[in-house]
Amino acid sequence: MREQLEQLRNGAVQAIAAATTVEQLQEIRITLLGRKGELTALMKGLGSLSAEERPVIGQLVNSVRDEIESALGTALAAAQENLIAERLSSERIDISLPGRRPLRGTKHPISLVIEEVSAIFAGLGFSVAEGPEIEHDWYNFEALNFPPEHPARDMQDTFFVENSMLLRTHTSPVQIRTMLKQKPPVRIIAPGTVYRCDSDATHSPMFHQIEGLMVDTGVTFGDLKGILTVFTNQLFGQKTGVRLRPSYFPFTEPSAEVDIACVICGGKGCRVCKNSGWLEILGAGMVDPEVYRHVQYDAEQISGFAFGMGIERIAMLKYGISDMRLLFENDVRFLRQF
Amino acid sequence: MNVTYNWLKEFVDFSETPDELAALLTMLGLEVDSMVKLGEGLDDVVVARVEEKRQHPNADKLSLCKVNNGKEIVDVVCGAQNFTQGATVALAQIGSVLPGDFKIKRSKIRGEESCGMLCSDKELGLADESAGIMVLDADIAPLGTPIFTALGLKDTLLEIGLTPNRSDCLSVIGIARDLAAKLGVQLKPLATTLPEAGEPVGSFIKVTIDNPELCPRYAARYISGCTIAPSPEWLVKRLTSIGIRSINNVVDVTNLIMMELGQPLHAFDCDRLAGKQVVVRTAGEGELFTTLDNQQRTLQATDLVICDAERPVALAGVMGGLNSEIELTTTAILLESAFFKPAAIRKTAKRLGLHTESSHRFERGIDIDSVGRALDRAAALIVELAGGTVAQGALDVYPGNSERTPITFRPERANGLIGITLERSEILDILIRLQCRIAENSDGSVSVIPPHYRLDIEREIDLIEEVARLNGYDKIPATMPIARVVSDRPSRHQEIEKLVRELLVQNSMTEIINFSFTSADAAGKLLLSDDDPRRVAIKLANPLVDEHSVMRTTLLPGLLETTAKNMSFRSLDLKLFEMRRVYFPGEGDNMPHEPLCVVGAISGSRDGDGWSRPQEAVDFYDAKGIVESLLESLEIGGVSWNSEQVESYYHPGKSCSIFAGRDYIGSVGELHPTVQKNFGIEKTVFCFELNFEKLVKLSRTKKTITAPSRFPDSSRDIAMLVPDEVPASKIIDCVKAEKAKEIEQVQIFDVYCGAGVPAGQRSIAIRIRYRSFERTLAEEEIVALHKRVVTNLVNKLPVTVR
Repeated sequence: MREQLEQLRNGAVQAIAAATTVEQLQEIRITLLGRKGELTALMKGLGSLSAEERPVIGQLVNSVRDEIESALGTALAAAQENLIAERLSSERIDISLPGRRPLRGTKHPISLVIEEVSAIFAGLGFSVAEGPEIEHDWYNFEALNFPPEHPARDMQDTFFVENSMLLRTHTSPVQIRTMLKQKPPVRIIAPGTVYRCDSDATHSPMFHQIEGLMVDTGVTFGDLKGILTVFTNQLFGQKTGVRLRPSYFPFTEPSAEVDIACVICGGKGCRVCKNSGWLEILGAGMVDPEVYRHVQYDAEQISGFAFGMGIERIAMLKYGISDMRLLFENDVRFLRQF
Repeated sequence: MNVTYNWLKEFVDFSETPDELAALLTMLGLEVDSMVKLGEGLDDVVVARVEEKRQHPNADKLSLCKVNNGKEIVDVVCGAQNFTQGATVALAQIGSVLPGDFKIKRSKIRGEESCGMLCSDKELGLADESAGIMVLDADIAPLGTPIFTALGLKDTLLEIGLTPNRSDCLSVIGIARDLAAKLGVQLKPLATTLPEAGEPVGSFIKVTIDNPELCPRYAARYISGCTIAPSPEWLVKRLTSIGIRSINNVVDVTNLIMMELGQPLHAFDCDRLAGKQVVVRTAGEGELFTTLDNQQRTLQATDLVICDAERPVALAGVMGGLNSEIELTTTAILLESAFFKPAAIRKTAKRLGLHTESSHRFERGIDIDSVGRALDRAAALIVELAGGTVAQGALDVYPGNSERTPITFRPERANGLIGITLERSEILDILIRLQCRIAENSDGSVSVIPPHYRLDIEREIDLIEEVARLNGYDKIPATMPIARVVSDRPSRHQEIEKLVRELLVQNSMTEIINFSFTSADAAGKLLLSDDDPRRVAIKLANPLVDEHSVMRTTLLPGLLETTAKNMSFRSLDLKLFEMRRVYFPGEGDNMPHEPLCVVGAISGSRDGDGWSRPQEAVDFYDAKGIVESLLESLEIGGVSWNSEQVESYYHPGKSCSIFAGRDYIGSVGELHPTVQKNFGIEKTVFCFELNFEKLVKLSRTKKTITAPSRFPDSSRDIAMLVPDEVPASKIIDCVKAEKAKEIEQVQIFDVYCGAGVPAGQRSIAIRIRYRSFERTLAEEEIVALHKRVVTNLVNKLPVTVR
């Protein structure tokens, strides 16, 4: 019996060493340790042994079984590892083929700029107001201190519709509508569509603006400068130079044009900035007392500023678009890049 | 307004370079739009003397010159004949680049070295034609002086874009005044000596103003014995330098003085004025008048005209008449200098589309106080250039009082509003430099009388602006406002607008933006019925083009045009949407309605080009799916799809209207082939249209969220034959009607017709997933429940379970 066990062990060790696949090893396990296996058969013979021999041989059987089990386990793990290694080395895909992706949808650049600008001003405590695009002359002009027959009206070529109404030429009437609705403090921006009777490479008959208005006690022109500096720095980069220079709008006084250091050339002078190093992006100023009179605010008690910017202009600068018409041609080859 | 650097120097002393001057003016609010530097890059063309001139040995028509440029003697070969040894000439030295990109290089001409070129006027861009080279006065300037400097032509043209409030700067003197105020220097005095002789002006001509409210001042002088001739060169050059064409000596003087002082002037041929009198009156309605440009104009009763005893001779402040124009034979001149009411001039000029330098100034307002000075200066210059005698005195009808009302000004308010801390004295000094007259009041305020020419200064705020402007916007510190907290969040409308845009983009759609105006026949192209409200659009009174003549009532035409255009560029896989306003007339005096709308169009393959998937074309269900996911995200319940009444622009069998409860919220479908053809679209297109305002109204802010069940599920499939006329949705509804809470999901997973399925029927397979929230369902429970579901289906619907 001892010999038989010895033989069985040696045979098993050889067989395990010779086996290369998981299947072979499992075969061996069944042959030796299975229900009808060789070692199992031997163990059944233990009963015929003497009481002295039985524990000794029993122990031996156990040790042989443990040895085989352990050898099998090690060999099996190695074979499984081989199997994985083999699989890994044989399977290859061409990772250079393009991925399978859903078509990407895009927002229009005008929407993107409106969202970005609105988010910056939301951070400064400005909420969004809206107003009609088909406006009364009073809101679009008169209340903003453009009297009838005033030459300043020439600055804005107007589309007229029936009932002495017009297509708003700027988002500024929203200032009036807002102030008529609420008392100070007022802090709004008003993005929207505006229209002017003008069409060429740099003018579109329809375009977009964002108006801003802040009215409270003790608001100064310096505050306007501060807010616009923060805004332009957030929109175009922390170090963007900002310059205010005197200008004229009937509804603000003092008025300013706001320039930023040219984002194309960094202020050195280029074609985009007409060699000036500056780009005009905003009109602004302190709200004119005449405007307050129209909305029954007391100019002696409160003060405030307003500003307005062209969204197309900002989109063109941000994305390096040279022709405004691209924005309204709706060519998907253009739009899908955003 | 065009002005040159040298011209400004005649009025004010400054040391700034042209570039510095431009920056200074821009920061004063007189924005320099562009600069042209005359003689720029021509500094290598210098004054030189021909020390020796001899015949070229190999060419009859050339001469060899030894030319002194102040530093050395250089050899130059010259072809011109119009000069002698010792002549002072213009030498273009090696390296200079003449107009027309003509580079001067060292060269050999017929074997002789030439180190430069002697220039003609033409070669320097100073004349259109020239015979021979430029021969200069011997003492013009030291040898070596750049030629443009020597000729006094070195100058810079500044093109200033004026804002409409600064009418005072529509003149050289106006810009000089602002510059002097900024620099804190005095304007150089303007000396005029006008010799008068003979009879007083009143004996030659009489002036009557019928409408003093439209013409508060009218002055005139009479000059006889003039000779009309071309203007001298300096005058031609000066006018040319700012872009004005020379006409003759008298007309040029009126233009020069207008540019210099901002006062438009007009010269009449006095002999052609009937009755030797001038009447300023409004025109007769329908009166005909031929202006200088030989155009016959029909006048209205609101137009102001200058008349002689019989007829109009000028359209006041706009343009003179052909009937009294200065001609070569003119000898007697009536020179007019007046102030006309801005609004009246503007009205006439605008109506007639006649925008002149004169009307531009009158419309914006001129300096009523300098009417006389401009008249005298022009008269003096006319007799200097055209000869003749100025009659004694000026006619000056000035019925009104032009004294300006003082403005109460509080210096501390200027500081407070601007956000600066100037001393009171500094603030007042700014106003004084602007030629305001000031008087201190007992309450600490100041009474300020602005100069006549500053029509834009009427209120305290106007003075505050002047303080900010002259002190410099760059000196205002940037501060952050101390503001009260305002509690606000985006409106529901704004939030949903943003959400819908995000959702559509997530659904692979590209946002487009079309113009809000469209052509009047857009509604027709959509086959809308005659009484469709979308046929009543708001019309533009002054459209730029017919295609943009009405405000759109539907976004579809723009969407479809965009679709067609993109397809023509071979972009065939399209998923487009637009979310914009449409416009409907208001009832009566009400404001128009401007509701927001959403439309989308899809066409081509579902997933775009690819190597790994079969290309499947999009269909109705892709469009419907987008709408479904949108409505689900907005928590809009009770949605039904109705194919009974559909919009005219859809394929009637492949489209439906969408309702939420009783509210019509939009439609979806395949585009009608005729509409497709009307818009020139090549491929089948599926569209949807949603009423955004309804979406806002119906969407629920509150989402109902349930925790998922932790117990296992079990699914059962049912395949059945369904007659075509039974909508698939009925099957789902029927299962759901069971109202068993163990039915977790009902899904259609196959729809088939073809081999094996009888005609007029479809095979529809559904999968029901059973699951309980409370326990693991026993097999028997599921079997029983499923059996009930199947029985119910067969009993309630004409379907056969396969």
